[in-house]
Amino acid sequence: MQPRTRIKLLFLLPAAAWVLVWTIFPFFYGLWLSLFHIDFGGEDRFIGLDNFKRFFSDRNALNAVKITFLFVLGSVTVQVILGLLLALAANRPLPLRGLVRTMLILPLFATPVAVGFLFFTIFYEEGGLVNGLLSIKVPWLSSPGYALIAIIIADTWQWISFCFLILLAGLQSIPDDVYEAAALETRNRWKIFWHITFPYLQPTLVLVILLRITEAFKVFAIPYTLTRGGPGNATLVLPMYAYRAGMRFFDFGYASAISFMAFVLVMLFIIFLFRSIRQAY
Amino acid sequence: MKPKTPWSPAAFLERHSYFILTLIFAGFSALPFYWAASLSIRNPAETFTVTGLAIPFLQYQPTLINWIEELAVGESQRALLNSTIIAVGTAVGVAVLGAPAAYALSRFSFRRPANKDFTIWFLSQRVLPPIVTVIPIFMMMQVFNLLDTRLALILVNITFNLPLVVVIMRQAFLDLPVELEEAAMVDGASYLDIFLKISLRLTMPSMAAAMLIATAFTWNEFLFALTLGSLDARTIPVHMAGAVDTRGIQFWFVGVRVLIAMGPPVILAMLVQRYIVRGLTFGALKG
Repeated sequence: MQPRTRIKLLFLLPAAAWVLVWTIFPFFYGLWLSLFHIDFGGEDRFIGLDNFKRFFSDRNALNAVKITFLFVLGSVTVQVILGLLLALAANRPLPLRGLVRTMLILPLFATPVAVGFLFFTIFYEEGGLVNGLLSIKVPWLSSPGYALIAIIIADTWQWISFCFLILLAGLQSIPDDVYEAAALETRNRWKIFWHITFPYLQPTLVLVILLRITEAFKVFAIPYTLTRGGPGNATLVLPMYAYRAGMRFFDFGYASAISFMAFVLVMLFIIFLFRSIRQAY
Repeated sequence: MKPKTPWSPAAFLERHSYFILTLIFAGFSALPFYWAASLSIRNPAETFTVTGLAIPFLQYQPTLINWIEELAVGESQRALLNSTIIAVGTAVGVAVLGAPAAYALSRFSFRRPANKDFTIWFLSQRVLPPIVTVIPIFMMMQVFNLLDTRLALILVNITFNLPLVVVIMRQAFLDLPVELEEAAMVDGASYLDIFLKISLRLTMPSMAAAMLIATAFTWNEFLFALTLGSLDARTIPVHMAGAVDTRGIQFWFVGVRVLIAMGPPVILAMLVQRYIVRGLTFGALKG
């Protein structure tokens, strides 16, 4: 081998092999496990697709699929729309801009488990911050509908700055002369947004939506701590349901099948995301 | 000079509407942090008697007893130590693995698979729902006899953060002029020398940022910490969830723990602001 070929493989292979061992192998191993009934202390039994059949006749699992979709739809929609509005508002010289920007980044790095517990105290019905501050009595955590909304709000608190920051970066990459040329034609701000800003921003917008969707499907820590999946099963998202099946009931085969279904749900978005990232490189 | 219009609330709002909007947004971001701080310095007895914004000194006399009590517990100290070791170990691990890979992707061309596909290969972990690999990795760790060890958590967190380092460093190396390295090569320097002494040295700020972001993400990771580190290797998030399991939700301790948990990653985030957009979009946007 030429030294150049050798060195480039030497640089790349350890990391590439790492992904193979810790991502690709576990992925297929999980798929393999989903074909078994795994009994601790007993013999593993090959049962083909029975775990998947069970999934489709398990009302709790199907409910978890529904809850997950509702959560993803609700939180991504709210975050992208509000993030876009705020990015448009902030895309101009503002006083204290650096400080505001810093404040906005902080929730993004807040520990999700802590976010869940913190919002538990915020949404607590007697003496919590929201009900106390607004003098309302909303059953945030004991009503199924509100519990899902509470989770979406906590998630939005954490992630809205993500949408904001990326969309702002997208807005700032639009060249000024395009706007200057447009200003000669029209002063209608809506027209400028629709014919200039929006087309330029579109790839960024698509990227943000796809990144948020794939990330939102992973949701685990916030419902785990804020509502523990409750009340009843109202906020039991798919990753939590799979975790329970595996780590509480030690039904590893079925848990693997549920996890794999969680992957299937998001797979389409992952494909679109990769396509959009490849274009950007 | 512009003629001065008389001051009116409506005119003020009109002129500063964008500023006010972003301020409200900043307030929305800050309020939960303030609330945690307010809870953490409140006497447990006053948890529910003080209402509304709960402003210290005005509405109640602040106290540090919750902080002192929480930090005196051995479990909290061990969780802090575990989280620190795991986060730092991960940051070092991803740097050692990720930087050379990023260098290879930015300097050499691969035909099959192509560079772009390699980058996507590294990103696969980042988009895969982590729940998919929880059980297989749990079983792998059982085989390696690594359950409930810090090493197990370092290994999985390296996996999660590798893509981040690869994309940030790939871009950093691409932004570096190749001429410097070519000049060194003419002088007879080896690839390894060039990488270590020129490229890596010149991209130190990016490397530091990538490592700090990896530290913060590792600190925050919950699902695998919960699955693999039940007792001895318990991290801060798991400790938080566990304490609530045994004692119920005590608001005053939640306040303290939230700040202990969020403090380090949030401070790290402030240091690396410039790199966050690049890191979070997998390098698809330079930011």
